[in-house]
Amino acid sequence: MSNDNFQLGRITVSPRAIATIAYNAARQSYGVVGLTSKNLVEGITQVIVKDPTHGIEVKYDGDKISIDIYVIIEYGTRITSVASSVNNTVKFHVEKALGMPVEQVNVHVRGLRVSDMD
Amino acid sequence: MDAPENEKPEPEPEPRYPMQKYPIDGQVFKSLVDAGLTWLRTNQQTVNSLNVFPVPDGDTGTNMVLTMQAACEEIVNSPEHNIGRISQKVAHGALMGARGNSGVILSQLWRGFAHALDNFEFLEGRSFVNALHHGRNTAYRGVVRPVEGTILTVAKDIAAEAERSIVDTQDPYELLERIVSAADKSVSRTPELLSVLKDAGVVDAGGKGLFFILEGMLRYVMGLPLDVNIASIQPLSAMKLENAFDSIEPGQDYEVVVDFHPHDELNFPQFYEELQQIGTSIQIGEGDGIYRMHIHVASENLYAPIEYSKSLGVVTKAAIENLHAQMEQVDHDRSATIQFTTIEPGQIATVAVAPGLGIARVFASLGVSAIVEGGQTMNPSTQEILNAFENFPTDYVFILPNNKNIILAAQAAAQLTVKHVTVIPSRTIPQGMAAMLRLIPTGHPEEVAADMNSVLNDVETGEITTATRSVEIDGVNVTQGQIISLLNGKLVLAAEDLSTATLGLLEKAHADQYELITLFYGLEVSRMEVDSIADSIRKEYPRQEIEVQEGGQPHYQFIISIE
Repeated sequence: MSNDNFQLGRITVSPRAIATIAYNAARQSYGVVGLTSKNLVEGITQVIVKDPTHGIEVKYDGDKISIDIYVIIEYGTRITSVASSVNNTVKFHVEKALGMPVEQVNVHVRGLRVSDMD
Repeated sequence: MDAPENEKPEPEPEPRYPMQKYPIDGQVFKSLVDAGLTWLRTNQQTVNSLNVFPVPDGDTGTNMVLTMQAACEEIVNSPEHNIGRISQKVAHGALMGARGNSGVILSQLWRGFAHALDNFEFLEGRSFVNALHHGRNTAYRGVVRPVEGTILTVAKDIAAEAERSIVDTQDPYELLERIVSAADKSVSRTPELLSVLKDAGVVDAGGKGLFFILEGMLRYVMGLPLDVNIASIQPLSAMKLENAFDSIEPGQDYEVVVDFHPHDELNFPQFYEELQQIGTSIQIGEGDGIYRMHIHVASENLYAPIEYSKSLGVVTKAAIENLHAQMEQVDHDRSATIQFTTIEPGQIATVAVAPGLGIARVFASLGVSAIVEGGQTMNPSTQEILNAFENFPTDYVFILPNNKNIILAAQAAAQLTVKHVTVIPSRTIPQGMAAMLRLIPTGHPEEVAADMNSVLNDVETGEITTATRSVEIDGVNVTQGQIISLLNGKLVLAAEDLSTATLGLLEKAHADQYELITLFYGLEVSRMEVDSIADSIRKEYPRQEIEVQEGGQPHYQFIISIE
């Protein structure tokens, strides 16, 4: 995927590796209770996935990385705040690890988890 | 009562503050929440300064204030006396106004807190404990992998402290006092739980914010002021003293920093109060028994902080700095920084060689990604040029040497790297600038290079300098010390003064047939002289646009671009 020329060859980073970074960053974000597969038709029961490549899509177009994240958020939190914090956190962690700019992080809220209050 | 040994009636303890007599209903609670917000706002900058993650999420203190503010706005006009209903409103407001991570967590704490008080009229000991417990649980549910050493930990610790304290007292005010001190302890433990905090020498910002909210409530109960920021002692490593200000207020002439060992334990509130008599912007740090005091004072109080510290202990170090001079330096540094264009992989990055700061800044504004300092009589080495672009995250680099003597060094640098380097052979500064205008960073490198090359000769370059020796070149007789004009590198005239040389040059260049004349004035010429020459040029060439820019180049009074 991304490569820099080095004296002795090149370094490539796979979309899956980037997805793993994004996955862990997203799961650390407050308000996110899980990631869900992008392929699920909306309306079908949300299944929280454990594999980063299912909840995260990494696109690499020439020199631009864009990341799509499909999340389930805790009911009762302010969705826009949580989503923007996911956006910031993922961008920060991926850029820090890769040393490359991330063009876009799209957060798709696929569902809410309602927890028992008592 | 299920514990018979406790049946013996205990004497009612004396209330320690007048408020303690009142049960906490909706209206009292409203005042408490408001006090929490006020105190948080007073300490907003302290919380902001604890941010360690450079995530562009705004500052923690500001986010928490905005969240609490939304909560307060929800109840400010409410006559509600029922604690359950008023805390529902608080939770609703906090939810709607939640900003940033810490704000969202805070709103969850409120949500759980309110939920537990649903059917209650007053906040009493047991229901208080229960509400804190629920707040904690609700907050923890919002995250898959809770990170300890954050606001969550502080919420957990205060819930636990409340649980312990309820055994001793049913009084909600007493409980508040205990949880404030538990929050304080919990905040100071956060660096042990989270290494990034420890590395940065700070405590968790969100946790500290929660502490201020609770402490604000307690201060209100105790009748203490909420709008005066009490400096707290911070670890020495966390003290940020450099350029921590944007403008100087009256009475701030000098910055004094004193390190001292107190003879006896420091009476902190008294110490702080005394310092407030002396000056402003007080910061106090502590480490290994040494206290560092930072204060801004007026000239007449210059030595007061040192004298005062001497009365308390042994002064080990003192430093005084003139704030006005410091401010000038800050202004200077700020204006001296150049914003370069960031390069993305695959794009074309450009490096320009520039002889002065002003010219470098113009190149930066045209989109170059690095500057190599150099020009006539100060040619940069191949290595210097190489260093400028070796770390770019792209493979395509253009170099603008902007001087005929530097083209070779640039070409040598191109040979020494694995990147695809193209030297655009600009022989003068104006040529380099003309070429920059054609740069398309995302374009095809070969096409862009060809386009940039094609415009090099569209611009006429004039240079005005002082002759270093007597000579005759190209039919022009020059005496040492005369002002000489070069047009596109060729000597065209020699004159006794700058104005004549400049106007003569423009005439030779047929400036009346061009549109724009830009003067880059050098280090050795005064702005006043520049302005008067620019005025005479404007008189002579009324139909041309005349621009004057600070070039900052040595040796050349003017570099002139005619296009």
